[in-house]
Amino acid sequence: MQETIVIGVIGSDCHAVGNKILENVFARAGFNVINLGVMVSQDEYIDAAIETNARAILVSSIYGHGEIDCIGMRDRCTERGLDGIPLFVGGNLVIGKREFKDVEVIFKGMGFDRVFGPDVDLQHVVDCLHQDIAVYNREHLAVEAAA
Amino acid sequence: MKTVSIDIGSTWTKGALFEVGDRDLQLIKRTVFPTTVQHLADGFYQVLNALLDDAHAIDRVRSGEITLNYSSSAKGGLAVAALGLVPSITLESARVAAYSAGAKITQVFAYRMNRSDIRALEANPPDILLFAGGTDGGHFDTIRHNAALLASSALDCSIVYAGNRAVQDEVTDLLGDKDLVVVENVLPALDQQNPDPAREAMRTIFLSRIVKGKGLDEIIAATGSEPVPTPYAVYEFTRHIQEHVPGWDDFILLDMGGATTDVYSSHDQCPPPGAVQRGLPEPLIKRTVEGDLGMRVSAEAVSETGDTLIAEHLAHDPAQIAAFHDYVAKVTAEPDYLPQDGQGKHFDTLLAGACAAYACERHAGRSTQVYTLDGTVDVLTGRDLTGVKKVIGSGGWLANSPDFDVSAWISERKVDGKGKTVLLPATVEYYRDAQYLFPLLANVARNYPEAAALTGVALLAQS
Repeated sequence: MQETIVIGVIGSDCHAVGNKILENVFARAGFNVINLGVMVSQDEYIDAAIETNARAILVSSIYGHGEIDCIGMRDRCTERGLDGIPLFVGGNLVIGKREFKDVEVIFKGMGFDRVFGPDVDLQHVVDCLHQDIAVYNREHLAVEAAA
Repeated sequence: MKTVSIDIGSTWTKGALFEVGDRDLQLIKRTVFPTTVQHLADGFYQVLNALLDDAHAIDRVRSGEITLNYSSSAKGGLAVAALGLVPSITLESARVAAYSAGAKITQVFAYRMNRSDIRALEANPPDILLFAGGTDGGHFDTIRHNAALLASSALDCSIVYAGNRAVQDEVTDLLGDKDLVVVENVLPALDQQNPDPAREAMRTIFLSRIVKGKGLDEIIAATGSEPVPTPYAVYEFTRHIQEHVPGWDDFILLDMGGATTDVYSSHDQCPPPGAVQRGLPEPLIKRTVEGDLGMRVSAEAVSETGDTLIAEHLAHDPAQIAAFHDYVAKVTAEPDYLPQDGQGKHFDTLLAGACAAYACERHAGRSTQVYTLDGTVDVLTGRDLTGVKKVIGSGGWLANSPDFDVSAWISERKVDGKGKTVLLPATVEYYRDAQYLFPLLANVARNYPEAAALTGVALLAQS
C-alpha cells in the first residue's frame, strides 16, 4: 500500500530547490507525497496530514531558524489528534558551528523522531520512513482496534 | 423570439419580457407583484399574465411561443449546513461548493461531531447537509464517526456526501435509511478543488425535493421549466459575462439586498512574482454571501459590525450617532421603509457603505509581509483581487444610488482586524445595474448566455 507523507519547508524559509528534490526522491521511493512547498506553518503540515491521513511529516529548513520554527510542533500534533505520528526534520537547522550531535539532541528533545543534517543520504531517510511508519501503523491500528 | 424571466424573491416577484436578438436583448416590459408566500405560483402567474397581457399566458409558454426561465429565493432560499474535517481545508471546500450552488450556509461543523451538534442540526434542520471530509484515500476515522452519529439522528434532510471516496461504501451503508446522495469528493487532493459534482447534486435536490415544499412544483408541471436558486443563476451569469464580454475577465459583482450581501468575483488567480500563495487553490468564479450584512432585515447587525466605521463617518456631528441607531431600529422594524429626508438617505448610504466594505473584505484574501534572509516575501492566502479594475453594483439600493462611491468604501478596509492587508483593489471603475435587471438577465442567460451577458454589461451605468 502506498503510504502518504507530508513534506514542506517550514517558517519564513523560501528555498524551493531542495524541496523539489525531496519530492522527487520520495515519490520515486513509492510514497504518495503531499508537498506543501515553501514557507509552511506548523498548522499547515498538521491540517494536511489530518485530511490526507498521512503517516509521517517531514519538515525541512535550510535558513538557520529551524529551531525557533519547530518549537512546540510535537505538542501541536498531539493536541490536534496526530498522536505519535512520525516527525522528521532535516536540513541546515541552526545558525553557527554546532556539532550535529548537539543539534540532534535539541530536536529530539522537541519530539522529532529523526533528525538529519544537510548531507544525509536520502536513501537512509527513505529507509527510516519505512521503518518508523511500520511501527506507527502497528501501534496506531492497535489503538484504533481497541477503540 | 420573446422570452420571459421571473425571479421569485422573499418579498417581491419580479418579471421582465425581452425580445431576443442575435447578440442582444431588448427589454419590452417589466412588472412586479408581491410574492404570495402561501402559494408562490399565484404571484408567479400574476407576473406572467401581466407581462404578456394575457390571462392565459401560460398557454403561450407551453406551446413554445415564449421561452421562460425563473429563479427563486423565496422562503429563505436554499439552506445548507456544511460539515468538513479541518476548517481551513475540507470545510472550506464544502463552503465554496455550497455558495456556488446558490445556498446560504446555516451551520458549519468540523472534526468529530458530538451529540449537541446533532441536536443543533435537528433543532434547525437545513434543506441539505453537505458532508465532506478527507481527501481521496485520506482521513476516514472521523467520517465514519460522523456518519454513524448522523445515522442515529432524527435528521431527515437531504444529505450530500462529498468526502473521502475510500469510505463512500461505509457511509452509504450507515446512512442508507437517510435521503443520501453520494458524489465525488469536493477536495479529492489537497491542491485540487472539485465543487461541481456536489453543486450539481444540490441543484438537483433543490429541484426534486425542495421546490415542492415551496409550491414551485405546480409551476414546473404547468410550464415544463425548472427554477434555480436566484444566486445560482447569478453565479452562472457571472461566468457568462467572463466568457462572452471582451474586457470582463476580472470583476467583482456586489449584490446588496435587505437581508444579505452577495459578492461574486471572476478572477484567474496567479500569484505575482516574489509572492508565495498558501492555502487552497482559488476557483475562477467565486461567490460568498454575508447573512449579517444587509440594508434592512440585517441593519442592526451592520451597525454592530460597522460601528467604528460608521462612527468615523459621523464624527463631525456626534449627535447623529444616536439618530443613526434610531434609524436602524426603524428600518429593521419596517423593512419596506424608504428614507424621506436627507438624513435618512445619508444613513442608508452609511449602511450600504458598511455592507460593501465588510462583504468585500470577507470575500477577498489576505497578504502578510514576511522578512526572510532573501528580503521580504508577501505571503498570500485566499483571493487576490488587487488587480481587479471593475466593480458592478446590483440590488435595489445600489441600482438607485448613482453617487455611491464604492472605491472609497472598499478602501476603508485596507487592513483587517488582525493587521493583515486585504487583497482588494485601491480604485475601481464602478458600474451600476441602474435598471436592476441582473437577476432577471441571469435567468435569460440560461437560454441565451451571450446575448444576456452582452446586454447586461451594455446596460450598466458608469459613475
